[in-house]
Amino acid sequence: MRKVAMLAAALALVAAPAGAYKLVAHGARVAVAKSEMTIDPPIDWNRQQSRPGRNAEAWTLDGIPLNEVTFYGGIEGGKALFKEVDRKNKPLPVFKSTMLTPDVVQLFEASYRIAGGSSLFEVGAVEPAEFAGHKGFRFRYTFTLEGEEVKRLGEGTGAVVGRKLWLITYEAPAIHYFDHNLADYRALVASARIPGPQVTVE
Amino acid sequence: MIRALGGALALLAAAPAPATDQVTPIGAGWQPTDKDERGLWLEVDELERKLRTSAFVMRDPALNAYVRGVFCRLVGEAACAPVRIYILRTPVFNAGMYPTGMMVINSGLLLRMRSEAQLAAILGHEYTHYTNRHVIQGFRDLKRKTSLMTWLALVPVGGYAVAAALTAAQLGMIASVFTFSRGMETEADAGSVPLMQKAGYDPAAAWRVWEQLRAEQDATAAARRRKSRKDADGGMFNTHPPTAERLAALKELAAKHPLAGPPDDGAARYAAALRPWWPALVDDQVKLNDFGATDFVLGKLAEDGWTPDLLYARGELYRSHGDLAQAAGFYRQATEAPGAPPEAWRGLGIVALRSGDEDGGRAALGTYLKLKPDAADRSMIAMMAGETN
Repeated sequence: MRKVAMLAAALALVAAPAGAYKLVAHGARVAVAKSEMTIDPPIDWNRQQSRPGRNAEAWTLDGIPLNEVTFYGGIEGGKALFKEVDRKNKPLPVFKSTMLTPDVVQLFEASYRIAGGSSLFEVGAVEPAEFAGHKGFRFRYTFTLEGEEVKRLGEGTGAVVGRKLWLITYEAPAIHYFDHNLADYRALVASARIPGPQVTVE
Repeated sequence: MIRALGGALALLAAAPAPATDQVTPIGAGWQPTDKDERGLWLEVDELERKLRTSAFVMRDPALNAYVRGVFCRLVGEAACAPVRIYILRTPVFNAGMYPTGMMVINSGLLLRMRSEAQLAAILGHEYTHYTNRHVIQGFRDLKRKTSLMTWLALVPVGGYAVAAALTAAQLGMIASVFTFSRGMETEADAGSVPLMQKAGYDPAAAWRVWEQLRAEQDATAAARRRKSRKDADGGMFNTHPPTAERLAALKELAAKHPLAGPPDDGAARYAAALRPWWPALVDDQVKLNDFGATDFVLGKLAEDGWTPDLLYARGELYRSHGDLAQAAGFYRQATEAPGAPPEAWRGLGIVALRSGDEDGGRAALGTYLKLKPDAADRSMIAMMAGETN
């Protein structure tokens, strides 16, 4: 999740330190987000070393501000999606295992608004979608972060399985980048596997 | 960075209120005279240049004309003319007037005001900070109290920050740097009340604003099971802490400046001007995950009765808080009133499904889809409602 990192970078006037990313080579299945979710990337990606949250992990092709995929691996009830930015004054909302898709989308929106200071956040289409062999959902969103002014588009695909939230999101600037790498993101989503009654046995 | 800022502010807060430097009050056509002030103006001019094109600026001509009208009535046409007012879509209570004559007002402030007189109280307060040149005093004071290195860390000096076209966040940062001393807040309050009296606004609106904000801070703290910070500097209102002392002083000031005629609070005019924006601003507030403050603000907005929009918003708030039974009640009340937003049926359906009432949930979601056939979440909701495409 770029929000916190980018805001911090913008405020601290520092560039990302060397070694901030590690290569994720294609052709081998990898576990993501310190969870049982696995991905088989068709092309090479770069993993951001600093974790957006305990069960979250961000990948990019050209740098987090240009294209970012975030994996949320089995967020449990009572947990926020990512690290708190200011737990005391601006606590993040938490996932509840009884949430339905509209609740999850709303949770995601509120988390972004709070962490990124983005009052310009709009949810677009929300539709059913298969996720790792489970009944899930897909949603579109747009947002602009305070202090940055770049309009970004986003797509999220996920499911609530085993009382946990599994989600993969993709964000990129509306101009050029979003469309350019949307298929790369969808290929990652298509390769996702998570534990559950319908998991494919190799 | 945030830590460095906090440290510097703590330093400021710990110091006694500075004796006000003797500075000439500003007037129209004022130009900065020394290096400090010229530098500050350059920074603020640069901010304004970016702000002009910011996506966060609310450009609605009617809303802007209304707010400007209130300001001009308060300070007079001549003083008003050179001032540029920017309304930002930011759901936090704040406003600021910069030394160059740029004024910034957050939408979160507009949501909380109950009348034109309350808005005038804030505008008069900010205008007095401006005319008394509090920003440049605070700037010099900060420079005296912090080392050069800290100072450099506080002020955006170029590089990535400038390239990233910082606007709202940077404004917030500069506003935080220029946290006013208690003495300056007292001066600004003292300046606002005579302006209100002269313009015919009820001077009592000034203390009512702060009383309401203090109650809101209590509500936030109670819902988070924390001690209220209303008498401490900092927190949500960190540039204008509404302390008990200030409230008492404003009550005294109001008593000393009675109106000759009947007080005009312009509550109806204010409500009419803000009405087109309230659903959006309420939605911004609901999504802040501040249950106590939001429930309080909704209650204030509903003082003259719960409209279907407000009941829907309250349903959304309680649903996001996990209180499904209460949420269902508010959604139901909304749907029973004429003119309810279709989303109220959506909310009702979701909480019914989550509570195990499948038939009720599906029926409510079906009504939502009938009322809003072009809904962005149509296919998801249709599936939840058991409809086949």
